[in-house]
Amino acid sequence: MKININQTVHDIDIDPDTPLLWVLRDHLDLTGTKYGCGIGVCGSCTVLVDGLPVRSCITPTSEVEDQEILTIEGVSNDNSHPVQQAWEDIQVPQCGYCQSGQILTAIALLNNNKRPSDRDIDQAMSGVLCRCGTYPRVRQAIKMAADKKSGGNGDTV
Amino acid sequence: MSAGVAGASLVIGISWSCSNNPPVDQTRNGAQFIPNAWLKIDTEGHVIVTVAESEMGQGPFTALPMIVAEELNVDWRHVKVERATLNPAYGYQLTGGSTSISKGWATLRQAGAVARQILLNAAALTWQVPISECRAEQSSILHLPSKKSLSYAALVPQATQLPIPDTALLKEPNEFTIIGTPTPRLDTPDKISGRARFGIDTKLPGMQYATITHCPVFGGKPKRIDKEKTLKIEGVLDVFKIEEGVIVLAKDTWTAFKGKAALNIEWDFGDKQSISSDSIIETLNELGADQTTEVVKQGNPEKLLNTGSLESEYTLPFQAHVPLEPMNCTASFEGGKLRIWAPTQSPSEAFDVARSVTQSKIQRTANKIKTKLFGSEDNSIEINTTLLGGGFGRRLKQDFVSEATQVAKRTKKPVQLVWTREEDIQHDFYHPLTLHEMRGALDENGLPIAWHHIIKGPNAKPHGADRLPYDIPNIRVDLIDIGKILPVGPWRSVMHAYNAFAVEHFFDELARAGNHDPLELRLQLMSQTPRLKKTLEIAADKTDWSSERGLFGVASHAGFGSYASEVVQLVEHGNRLKIEKITCAIDCGIAINPDIAKAQIEGSIVFGLTAALKSFITIRDGQVQQSNYHNYPILNMAETPPIEVVIVESDGSPGGIGEPGVPPLAPALANALFAASGKPTRNLPIPFDNGGIKIT
Repeated sequence: MKININQTVHDIDIDPDTPLLWVLRDHLDLTGTKYGCGIGVCGSCTVLVDGLPVRSCITPTSEVEDQEILTIEGVSNDNSHPVQQAWEDIQVPQCGYCQSGQILTAIALLNNNKRPSDRDIDQAMSGVLCRCGTYPRVRQAIKMAADKKSGGNGDTV
Repeated sequence: MSAGVAGASLVIGISWSCSNNPPVDQTRNGAQFIPNAWLKIDTEGHVIVTVAESEMGQGPFTALPMIVAEELNVDWRHVKVERATLNPAYGYQLTGGSTSISKGWATLRQAGAVARQILLNAAALTWQVPISECRAEQSSILHLPSKKSLSYAALVPQATQLPIPDTALLKEPNEFTIIGTPTPRLDTPDKISGRARFGIDTKLPGMQYATITHCPVFGGKPKRIDKEKTLKIEGVLDVFKIEEGVIVLAKDTWTAFKGKAALNIEWDFGDKQSISSDSIIETLNELGADQTTEVVKQGNPEKLLNTGSLESEYTLPFQAHVPLEPMNCTASFEGGKLRIWAPTQSPSEAFDVARSVTQSKIQRTANKIKTKLFGSEDNSIEINTTLLGGGFGRRLKQDFVSEATQVAKRTKKPVQLVWTREEDIQHDFYHPLTLHEMRGALDENGLPIAWHHIIKGPNAKPHGADRLPYDIPNIRVDLIDIGKILPVGPWRSVMHAYNAFAVEHFFDELARAGNHDPLELRLQLMSQTPRLKKTLEIAADKTDWSSERGLFGVASHAGFGSYASEVVQLVEHGNRLKIEKITCAIDCGIAINPDIAKAQIEGSIVFGLTAALKSFITIRDGQVQQSNYHNYPILNMAETPPIEVVIVESDGSPGGIGEPGVPPLAPALANALFAASGKPTRNLPIPFDNGGIKIT
C-alpha cells in the first residue's frame, strides 16, 4: 500500500485495517503523532488529511491511501510556521504530549478561517484534550497566529 | 582535591566525589570543565546543566538551569539542559511534592557560584592580576582596569587545573538578572516540532511490542487464559502471564492491542470483588467518634460544640490521573544488563522495582552491602528517564517498570510495553474518596469560636486541615484512615485538595450563618497568616466586584511552601450559572521563572475544575466503572473560563508551584455557587453540562 505523508510517498506492507496512527508511529518512526485514547475522543493523534483534522487512531490506513497526510513533522523544518511561532511566543506547551494535535487542529482552523472568534476556537479546539491545562494559551496563540498571518494590527477577535 | 574533574564538598551537606561526576567527554576539541555533578562547560562555551528532576510539564528543565546560570553569570543562550542518569550525587531521585525548586535552590546556586569562582581564578592567574580586579559577566571574565576579557570557553583548559573551593559567595537577590525573568522554556522547540521523545517514543533495534491485561477486579489473578484467537492473529508473537496480568507480545503496538481484544481470560477475582464506592461510603459513615485518631486539639471545642453547633458533611469521590501519555516502559535485558527507558517520576524507585525483578532477595542484599561498604554501584541496571507526557503523581508508582522488566527478562529482547487507555483508567492508584464531618460554633457576634473536622477515607491524611489559617480559638481535627483497601496514591496536591475543600467551604457556611461576608471574615481572621492574607487581598483587588457581590466565591490555602487565593466569578445565563472568570494570586517565594509559574497555576485551575465539575471514579463489584475519556471526561477548551494569575512579589525562599494552585479551586467554586444559590455543595463533582451549572 502507498501512502503520502508530508509529501513523501511511502510503500508500506501492513494489514489495511491498521489505524494510520500506528503506521506513523511504529512503521515510519513519525512519533510526533501521539496515542492517547484509541477511540477518537482525546485528539492527541490528530493529523491533517487533505487539510482537514482527522483522528488517526480510528482511521484505517486504507481509507487515506490516495490522500495527502500532514503530520507535525511536516509542518516545517525549523518551527517557522506561524502557528508554531505563536506557540513559541506564548510558550504554550507544558508536558507537550498533546501539542501536535493542538497545533495541527489550529492550523486547519486558521486555513479555513482567517479571523476565528472565541466561539470558532471553542468549536474547532474542544476535541483536543490537554491534561496540563494549556487551553488559555492555546487560545491566545491561535489569535496571535491569526494576526501574524493576516498582518493584522494586533487586536484580537 | 585538585583538578576540575575532581570533587568538592559543599557546606550545604551534599558531597561530590569524583566517581559521581559524569565521564569527561574528551572527543570534542579538548576537555570539558566539570566542577561538579550539575554542570559542564565545554571549549565551545556551551554550559550544559544536568537536571535530575523529571520534566513532566512543570518546568524543571528550564527553571533549574536558570538558577545555575544566574550564579555563573552566563549568557542564557549558551545554556543547554541534559537529563541526569541515576547517580548517587543527586540523592534519591524522585520528583514530587512540588519540591524541585526548593530542593535544588541552595545546591544549584552553589554549583554555579563555585564554577564562577574558579573561572575568575583562572582568568586572574592567566593575566597575573588580582582577582578583585576581575568580574564575571555574560559568559566572560573581564579585567576591569585593562578592559581585557576572556570567554568561559577559552578558560576551560585552565579551569580544569584549578582547585575547587568548597563554597563561593552567592549573589544578593537584587543582583539577579535571570532569576525572576519570564524566560522561554528550553524544551519548547522540541515540543512544537514533534521531535520531543516521550517514553512511548523510545525505539530500540529489534524491539518487540507488548500490552497487558490486568484483572478487572483489584488484586485478581488469571485462572485460565484462552490464547487461541490471539495467537491466530498475524504478528502476535506470544501470550503469557506475569505477576500483574496477561501479556500479549507482538510485532507492533496495534497488533498487540488486537491480540489483547481477542483474549478470553477466566479470572480468579480474589477477595476484593465486593468492594464498591457506595459500600466504602457506607462504612465511613458508620465509623464514629470512638474510632478517630486525634490530630489537633486546641482549646476546648467539645463544650462549645455541644450547644447549638452548625453541622455539615462533604463527600468527595475517587479521582484518576489520566496523563495523556498512557503508562509505558521500554526495556532490554541482554547479556545480564537491564536497560530501562521510562517516563517515571522516580528513577530511583524504578531502579529498586526493576532490581526486585532481576535479582533474588539474597543478591539484592549482597549488592546493597557492597554499595555500602565499598561504594561500588550496582551497574547491572541502567535507568533512562524520558520526558513524561504528564505525571500528576501517577508516575511515582513504578508498576509499568516492573511489568516491562518481567517481559524483557523472559524474552531477552528489547520490548516496549504500552497500556491501553482503558487499563490506565481502571488500574490507577486513585486519589482517595473522602468524607468530611464538620461542626462549628459561633459566638454572639457571629464569629467562629469552635471548629471540629473529622476526615475519613482510605489512606486519608490530615495535611492541609491541621493548621487552619484562621484565628479560631477552639479547634479539633480527627482522622479515620481505613487504610489502602484498594490502590490509592498521590494525585496533584494530594490530601491538600480534599482538606482545603472541607475547610474552605465550611468556613463559608459558618461565615454566612453568622451573617458575615466570607471575604471580609477571612481577612479579619488571618492575623497569623500574613502571606496568605496578602494573596487574598490581591486576588480580591484583581476581581471586578462592581456587579453583584453575590456571584463570587473565594478560597485560600497554604501548602507546599506557597500561599494561594482564588476567586471564582459566576454569571447567570438563563437558568444556568457560567464561570465568568477565575483569578489567582500566589506567593511562591522567589519565582524563578514567573511565566512557568503562571502556566502552572493556569494548569492547576483547569485540573481543579475537571475534578470539581466533571470527573469521578466509581467502583462496583471491585471494578472501576470508568474506562476512557468519554466516561472519565476532562475539561476542554470551550469549558475553560478566562484565568488571571498574579505572581505576588516575594523575597521568601522558593516554594512549590506545580500543586498549590489546585486546592483553593473547588472550594472557591462551591463558595461562589453557595453565594448564588444559598445552598452549600455536599458532593463533588458539581452537576455541570452544556458549559454551565444548573440553578436548582
